[in-house]
Formats: sequence, C-alpha cells, structure tokens
Amino acid sequence: MLPDILILYIVLAPGLVALTGLLHKQIGDKLVMSLTTAVVLSAGALSLIQLFAYVAGLGGHAGAEEHHASLVAATTGVDLKQHIITLMPWISVGEFQANWAIRVDTLSIVMMAVITGVSGLVHLYSWGYMSEDPHKARFFSYLSLFTFMMLMLVTADNFIQLFFGWEGVGLASYLLIGFWYQNKAPNDASIKAFVTNRVGDFGLALGIMAVFFVFRSVEFGPVLDAVRNNVAVVPVGFAEASPVRDLVIPFLHWNLNALEVIGVLLFIGAMGKSAQFFLHVWLPDAMEGPTPVSALIHAATMVTAGVYLVCLLSPIYEYTFYAAGMITIVGAVTALYAATVGMAQNDIKRVIAYSTCSQLGYMFFVAGVGAYEAAMFHLFTHAFFKALLFLGAGSVIHGMHHEQDMRRMGGLAKFMPLTYAAMMIGTIAIIGLGIPHTQIGFAGFFSKDAILESTFASGQADVMFGQVAFWFGLIAAFLTSFYSWRLIYMTFHGPKTWEAHDHHDDHAHEDAHAADDAHGHAHDHTPHESPLVMLVPLALLSLGAIFAGVYFYDAFVDGNNETFWAGAIYRAAENHVLHDRHNVPEWVLYAPLVVTIAGFLIATFTYYFNRGVGKRVADSGGPLHSLFYNKWYFDEIYQATFVKGSAMLGNLFWKADKKIIDGIGPDGVVAVTKASAGRLSKMHTGYLYHYAFVIIGAALVFGGILWLRAGGAN
Amino acid sequence: MGGFPILSAMTFLPLAGALIIMIVRAATAGSREASSSDTEGRTALLAGLIISGATFIASLAAFASFDASQPGYQLVEQYSWYRNISYKMGIDGLSISLILLTTFLIPICLLASWNSIHKRVTEYVVAFLVLETFIIGVFTALDLVLFYIFFEAGLIPMFLIIGIWGGKDKIYAAFKFFLYTLIGSLLMLVAVVYMYQTAGGSDFEILEKYSFDPNVQTWLWLAFMASFAVKLPMWPVHTWLPDAHVQAPTAGSVLLAGILLKMGGYGFLRFSLPMFPDASQLFQPFMFALAVIAIVYTSLVAWRQTDMKKLIAYSSVAHMGFVTLGVFAFNEAGVQGAIFQMLSHGLISGALFLIVGVVYDRMHTREIAAYGGLVHRMPVYATFFMLFTMANVGLPGTSGFIGEILTMVGGFQASTWAAAGAALGVIFSAVYMLTLYRRTVFGQITNPELNSIKDMNMIEWICIAPLAFLTILFGVAPNLIFNITEGSALRILNLMAGG
Repeated sequence: MLPDILILYIVLAPGLVALTGLLHKQIGDKLVMSLTTAVVLSAGALSLIQLFAYVAGLGGHAGAEEHHASLVAATTGVDLKQHIITLMPWISVGEFQANWAIRVDTLSIVMMAVITGVSGLVHLYSWGYMSEDPHKARFFSYLSLFTFMMLMLVTADNFIQLFFGWEGVGLASYLLIGFWYQNKAPNDASIKAFVTNRVGDFGLALGIMAVFFVFRSVEFGPVLDAVRNNVAVVPVGFAEASPVRDLVIPFLHWNLNALEVIGVLLFIGAMGKSAQFFLHVWLPDAMEGPTPVSALIHAATMVTAGVYLVCLLSPIYEYTFYAAGMITIVGAVTALYAATVGMAQNDIKRVIAYSTCSQLGYMFFVAGVGAYEAAMFHLFTHAFFKALLFLGAGSVIHGMHHEQDMRRMGGLAKFMPLTYAAMMIGTIAIIGLGIPHTQIGFAGFFSKDAILESTFASGQADVMFGQVAFWFGLIAAFLTSFYSWRLIYMTFHGPKTWEAHDHHDDHAHEDAHAADDAHGHAHDHTPHESPLVMLVPLALLSLGAIFAGVYFYDAFVDGNNETFWAGAIYRAAENHVLHDRHNVPEWVLYAPLVVTIAGFLIATFTYYFNRGVGKRVADSGGPLHSLFYNKWYFDEIYQATFVKGSAMLGNLFWKADKKIIDGIGPDGVVAVTKASAGRLSKMHTGYLYHYAFVIIGAALVFGGILWLRAGGAN
Repeated sequence: MGGFPILSAMTFLPLAGALIIMIVRAATAGSREASSSDTEGRTALLAGLIISGATFIASLAAFASFDASQPGYQLVEQYSWYRNISYKMGIDGLSISLILLTTFLIPICLLASWNSIHKRVTEYVVAFLVLETFIIGVFTALDLVLFYIFFEAGLIPMFLIIGIWGGKDKIYAAFKFFLYTLIGSLLMLVAVVYMYQTAGGSDFEILEKYSFDPNVQTWLWLAFMASFAVKLPMWPVHTWLPDAHVQAPTAGSVLLAGILLKMGGYGFLRFSLPMFPDASQLFQPFMFALAVIAIVYTSLVAWRQTDMKKLIAYSSVAHMGFVTLGVFAFNEAGVQGAIFQMLSHGLISGALFLIVGVVYDRMHTREIAAYGGLVHRMPVYATFFMLFTMANVGLPGTSGFIGEILTMVGGFQASTWAAAGAALGVIFSAVYMLTLYRRTVFGQITNPELNSIKDMNMIEWICIAPLAFLTILFGVAPNLIFNITEGSALRILNLMAGG
C-alpha cells in the first residue's frame, strides 16, 4: 500500500482541481485542462503502481494442488487486510456515526486503479475529442469531479459516504450527459438518468435505513463483521437479541429475514446505478453525452458501482437466498436482454451501451451465485476493453464529423487504420477469444470464462438460478460476438456509404455543435484518423484489453485469490464455487468458444460477405426485429404508465387543492364573510399607519408593563 | 438572574430600531418634500440593515454565552408579570439555532429588497424589523402566554408585507394567510388558557413537569396541532402557502419559507412532545400519514406548476413533511434530523426564493415558460441555481441531505411505511427540481427579452453566496449544528419519556 499522503492525493486532489473550473474565466481554459489532466493522470499512475506492487508482492504461482486446497479452505479464517484513514467526523447523532474516511483494501485498490487509470486516459483523450468545444474548462472540471466522487464511493468506510459518492457520481453523470445543454435530447436524457437512478436510490436509502435499524451502525466494519460472525444483534425497539442471520424484522406489511430485506433493498440501488433490467432505460439515452464521458462513466466506472457494492457486501449476500437469487436472475436477464437489443441498433454508441448493460449483467449473475471474485475480475477487464471500444467509437465519430449512425459509415478501415486496430482488439477482447486450458487469450476470455464456469458449477451445486444464468450467459455470449462483429463490419468494412450523405443529418446533435458545424464545413468530409492525443489512450487501453486477463487471472480468481483479496471479499464456508469451476465438464470450457465463433460466422455472412441480409431483416420489420429495435418497448411502456400516471396524479392533486381544500376552506369562508374581506381590501390604500400604530402601541403597553414589573422586582 | 439581559436586548433591538426609524421619519416629515422619497427609502433600508446586523451580532453574543453541553434553558431572564404569568426568556440548543437562522436571514432579506422595493420603503423596513422582534420572541419565550403573544403578533407584520408589497392578488393571499393562521390560533388560545388554569402557571418548566390527564392531552394536543399544522404547513391546511409565496415580495417569501414555517416545527418540539407525550404517541400514525401525504402529494403538485414561486412553495410543503416525520419518530435521529431539516430548509428555500427573485426583478414574470436558456447569459446565476437545486433534492454533501436521511432513518425505526413513503418523495423532488432547472436555465433562448438579461449583480452575490457557503458547510460538517442541538433534542425526548 502507498503511504497515506499519496492515497490522500489520489482521492482528494481530483476533487480540488475540479473546483478550478469555477475560475476558468480568470485562469483560462488551458490551465484548467492542464491541471485536471495532470492531477488525474498522476493519480492514475500512482494507483496502478499500487496495484502492480500489491500483486507482485503476493509471490509466485501456487501449485495446482496447493491452490485447490486453498480455495476449499474456508475464507472466514482470512484476516481482513484493511487500512482506514479517518479524515473527520461527518454525522454524529447518537448511534448514527459516519466519518469522512478513506478505506484501503483490495477492493478499493482495484477500483482506484480502474477509476483513475481510465479517467486519466479519458482526460488526455478529451484534449483531442473536445478540442473544438467552447466549454472545455467546464467539461474537464466535471470529469475530475466525477473522478473524485467515484473515488469517495469506493473508499468509503460507511454507507453514508458511499451514498455521497453514489449520488455524487450521479450528479456528475447528469451534468455530463446534459453537457450540450442547448439541446432537447441531452436534457431529456440527463433528467431521465438522474431520476431513474433516484428510483434505485429509493431502494438504496431504505436499505441503509434498514441496516441502521438492525445493526445500529452504518459503518461497514461493525456491520459486515456482525454478519461474518453471526453476532446476536438487538434492532431498535427489540426486546431481545438474536443472531443476525436468523433475525426477522417487520418491513412494511411483512415480517421478513433482515438480511434478505437489506440485501434486496441495496440491490435495487445497484440496479439503478448499474442499469439492470427494469432500471436500465437511462443508459442508452446517456449516450447523448460526449463520447469520452460514455467511456469513463457509462462503461468503465460509474455503472460498475453496483457490482462493486454487491461484492463489498458479500458477507450479506452470502447469507441470503432470495436476494442473491434476485441478483442472479436480474443479471442473467439483463445480460440476455441487452444483447438482443444491441443486435438491432444502428447508432454505434448505442450498440456499445447495450453491450455494457449486457456485460454488467454477467457481473451481477456471477456475483449472485457467489463468485464475487469473478465479478470483480470481469469488472476490471471490462473497464479496459469497453473504454477502448467507446474511445474507439469516439475516434470514429470524431473522424466522421459527428456521424454516429453505422448505416452511414462503412469502409473506414482504410481511413483510420489505427482506430480500426484498436476497435479490433476491443472486439476480440469483449467476445472473449482465447484457447481453453492455456494462458492464451484476450482479457475478456479469462474473465468471461471464469464467469460461465463458476455459474455452471453453482448450478450443479444447486445455487438458486445458477443453471438459468449459465444458459442465458451462454446465449448472450453468442449474441455479443454477433453484434460486436456487426459493428466492426458496418463501420470499417464494405462500401463507403458516407459520401452520399451530408454528414449533418437529422441526428439530435445537429445544432449541438455550433462550433463543430463550422469545423465540419470548413474541412472536407473525408474521414480522418484522430490526432495522437486520442490514439495514445487507445494504445494504452489496448494493452490492458490484451494483457489484463492473463496477468491478473491468478490473483483475482485463481491460485492467489485468497491472499490477493485478503478478506475484502467474503465467501461462506460452504461456498466452493471458485474451486468447483475447475471440475466442470469439458464441454463447458469449449461452449463459449463455439458460440463465439458461431456469432462471428453469422455476422461475417450477413454483414461482410452478404451485406444485404442484415438490411433486409431490418427493413422487413419482422416482429422480433421490431421488438429488439424498439428495446422491447420499455420507454413507451414507462412513458404510458409511470410518467403519464404521475403527471395525472399531480394534476389531480393540484385540482384537489384548488377545488376541494380551498373550496371548503378559505374560499368558502371568504364567500361567507365577504363584507369583512371588503373592508380589509382598503388596507392598501393607506391604512398602514393605523396598523403600525396598533403594533407599536401594543408594544409600548407591553414594554411599560415589563418596565414596571422589572422595577417592582428589585 | 442578574447580568445583562442579552436575550431581551436581542429580541427588542429590532423593535427599538423600528421605532427610531419611525420617529426620525416623523421628525423630518417637514423637510421630506425636498429629498426624494427614494433617498428616504435607501436611508431606511440602510438603517434597517444596520439594526438587523446589530441584532445578528447580539444573537452571536448570546450564542457565545450559550453552553451547548447543558441541555436545559440558559441565559434565563425572569420578571414577574401578572399573577403566575411572568416575562420569562431563555434559550436552549433548539431555540438558539433557530434564532441564529432568523437574525442571519433578516439582513439578507433587507439587502435583497434594495433594488426591488420602491414603494413605502420605510414602512417596509419597519415591518421587517417588527417581525424580527416577534420571531425572536417566539423562540426565546419561556412562558406560554408570552410565547402566544409573540406567536400571534408575528402574524400582523407578515400579513402587511404580503398585503401591501405583494403582487396583484395580494389581498386574496394575505387574507387566506390570515384566515388559516387565525383559526389555528384561536383553538390554541383556548388550550393556553386551560393549561394555565390547570397547571397553575404558564412557565414552560412548570408545564413540562405537569402531567396532563391523557384524555385532556388529546384535546390540548389537537388544539396546538391546529395552529402548528397551519404554520408548518401540513397537508391539507397548506393551500395558503403557495398563494402567500406567489404574492409576497421576494424578501417576504424568504422570511416566510425560511423562518415562519419553522415556528410550526418548533411548536411541535417545544409543546406537543414534552407536554402531551401520551397524545403525541396516540397521534403518531396520524402524523406520519399526513407527513407522507405532504411529501408525495405536494411533490407531485409541485411538478405540475407553471409558476416558479408556486413550485418552490409546494416543494417547501414537501420538505416540511420530513420535519413532521422526524419529530414524530420520537428518537434521536428523527428529532435531530427534524431540527437540522428546519435549519437547512431555511437556507435552501430562502436561497431558492432569492434565485427566483433575481430573474423576477429583471423580467417581472414568474412563468417558467417565459424563461429558458438563461445559462447562456447568466453563467454565475446558473451555477448558484444548480447548487441550490441539488441541495433541494437532497444531494449528499449539501445540508438538504442530512435532514432528509436522518428524519427517514428515525422514521424507519418507528414505521417502515412512513420511511418508504418519504423516500418516494426523494424521487419526485428530483423530477420537479430538474424539470424546473432545465426549463429555465438550459435549452436555447427563445424569449427575445432574455437576450440582454444581465448576470447576478454585487448585491445579489452578497445575498446568495453566504447561503451557498452555509449549505455546503452544513452538508459536509453538520456536527456544527448537532453539537448545539443535541442537548435539547435529548431533553425533549427525555421529557417525553417521563424523565
């Protein structure tokens, strides 16, 4: 671990430099950009050094026999390696104690590296991508603000600071989605994101209240320790103590197991932030934000906060049946659902957005079956290749002068070969190409296979919904391969379809970029490769997309996993899923490879050799395609029910105020006492002095009495 | 006793100042023709600022002598008045925090009126100063009769502020305000008289020790509740508030939302809980129901508003719902949260009304539809507006969060239904505030009159920046408040438990 002072620098410095954005008029855009970029990049370098040093310090490979033995050993015996830097008390009200603190353990070390690493590169990339935007200082300061909030989230030592970071990243996300605030679409999308997240936060907030009710603490230490050791607790108002895992509490109309209630409520929060099924609707719309934002917030970091939360709270989920089952099934459904929608989208960013949604589903279902390490591993590798894909897409969009519709791309490989190479690496990583039983494979191969194997093993061990999740995940892997290659072919291969069009089409961004329009018209419309400042981040992320899997496999999910996590992730004594995954049938290892190749072949056939097929399917408007293309009509359904319903209720209540309450109350009285009201209305024509006289007279009399009495008392 | 009566001095300083202003004005009436009435107005405002500033300093002095580790009433001044009624003043953590809020906001109110009030300015200043005395009196009085006098007297200047300096429907609004509060007050008066006779005195400490018969408590509780529910305001007696706000001048709204509403919460904490504990227990579910209705119902209504001030007024009702929830949770988190929520809402809603006032002074309309795209012309304004928008939706890191989460945490312990209902309001607050912000600040400028609109001026800066500072300060370090209020919160809960 780094010295405290450097940890403080990593977490707090991005927050401080974010404030320089307020002074951009005085100090200039360039200085704001330089300061934020320098600080976040240096924080990123430090965090990565910390992670690498930590992994290197674990020692070499454990032998095969040995590591199986260690995986079987109950993790309860592992001491939690954790270092907490307390900054100052935040809220101290009776037993409700929350500090501003920085918690350093393996989970936060991994998250810090992901956050600051990707954020640093995104800052750098934005020098190129946002070069023509008139509000650069604002953009960079929002990015740094986000980085700070995300770091506060992952280093919190209590639920309240976690909530601070949680809502703080929501604010940054809101501001960045709506960055181009002149326009309708970004404004709509930013509000949708904030409000949908608030629906999740409704659950999260109630979950925190339930935690305090049960444990009389909101600090992770005491709460998670109590669950690990099944301590007897006395909830507020309860007469006697009972072991926390068996505790039953009243919640709304029911009496329920306390951990189940807490687990489900907190997971609802995670569903909002991580765009899981039912609460996923904001994520695709969030693509209205500038692309670097999509890479940082809506792919690599913020949306993974839910996964982080579930892993952090692994002690709780280890002892829940329904809450964990809910995570599994919601994750599995999301993985599959988002992949089906991703197949039918034409906007390059939306394809990647649905892909993100789907990959988050993988992380959740594997956490739900108890392999939290595999979830964190996928979170880690996904950060690299998904940020790479987004920044690559950004490079395409930049090169195409803000065109995002893949139907108007094609044949770009020639014009932007480096971007093409980066996107290929990202694609191969996300589909998880690699050779089973070897160390050969891209990052996604290691993490996705760990997920599918663990899930299959859990299904064998009768973990709730494990079987279902495995099959959903496998089908989603097939779809992932298909839509990823479809994206590559539509964008980079085939005939150029962009010459025929004016690039300033009817897309929502058209008047968003007054400056960009000028840029577009001043130059010719030939796509161009992006500048170096954008390509360097692509190159670095490519390294991660290739090597992050093989390098960190052992530490995250294999032989060294116990020493690596050092108690930051907890598995119950009877949970052997990470061990059992080595005993799954041989076909389970090859199945992902087979479906991935199948997806590749079908995409190649329909979008490379015979490009008309995809278009014909889309044009034919079959019911399945319509369903996928229209995202299963979620937006329409929510609009018709929740949005319209609330608006109707609001109008109804407003009428009730005016007609019923006022009608019976004051207006009714007024009607009866019209005469006195008439007299009152004379007031404004000059009776003020009378009133003032009355007030002052009363005060004088009052004061006089007081004076006499006080005198009398002496 | 003995020593300098700082509480009385602080309380009556504004009234004395108002008198001096009136006297000077009367004395110079002859030469008034020569100087323009505007000069006179500026002078009066300046005098008002100095007097209210001095009052603020006096309240800080009182605070400096206040010992937060002592839960009981402090700096007590007592003079026998009439039979068992005495002129008795004193403060505890609950009252000093509300007094500081009052003395802090009044100078801001007067300063905010600098450019927006042009008629009868002297009277306006006098009304504010007189009101300040009555409000401080409400929070310092330790005798029920004295309290009642201040509590009711405050009605008059506020009534005048709305009725004289208000908008075009000011008479209707002022009358509605008057009617609602008066009916509550009359019921309370009956209770006050009864309590005085039964307990043999009107001293708070006597009443706190006296155990009223549970059946009697029910009636007394209801009578007090009638008055406090109107002030807070609680659903369904809230409909005076939107009208009063819409018609009141900006400073009137700041005062109304910032302080006058808090008298309701103060009343519940000072009287209902410690003096009628059994009745409070009895009515807990009823109050929770009203709190949740207030939060959800008015949040939805707020969303449908087309008038900026009305929207924020409805939002105030919703936020006061959290106060009710916290108070009637009867636990430390709830009560501390409720007190904090009152202070925090005083800052945030005050700031939001100032924010509306900034553009109203320029455009003379509160219609949301008349705005849009302000960010292009008023970036500083947009930044402040965003801060208070986020504070109003309870974003952690702002003071708005602390009050909401603690009242809900407290509420959860008493009723998970109430907490869940209140948490729903947290969703809706995001809906109406972000919609308001987006319609006024974001988007393109469509109203050509906005093309030449100016960003915040120096006076507006001075009014709003301190509120912004405190909103964040108390959001990050709320213990600054909790350290003050802890003793009295626990004392109230102890009294309620019969201790």
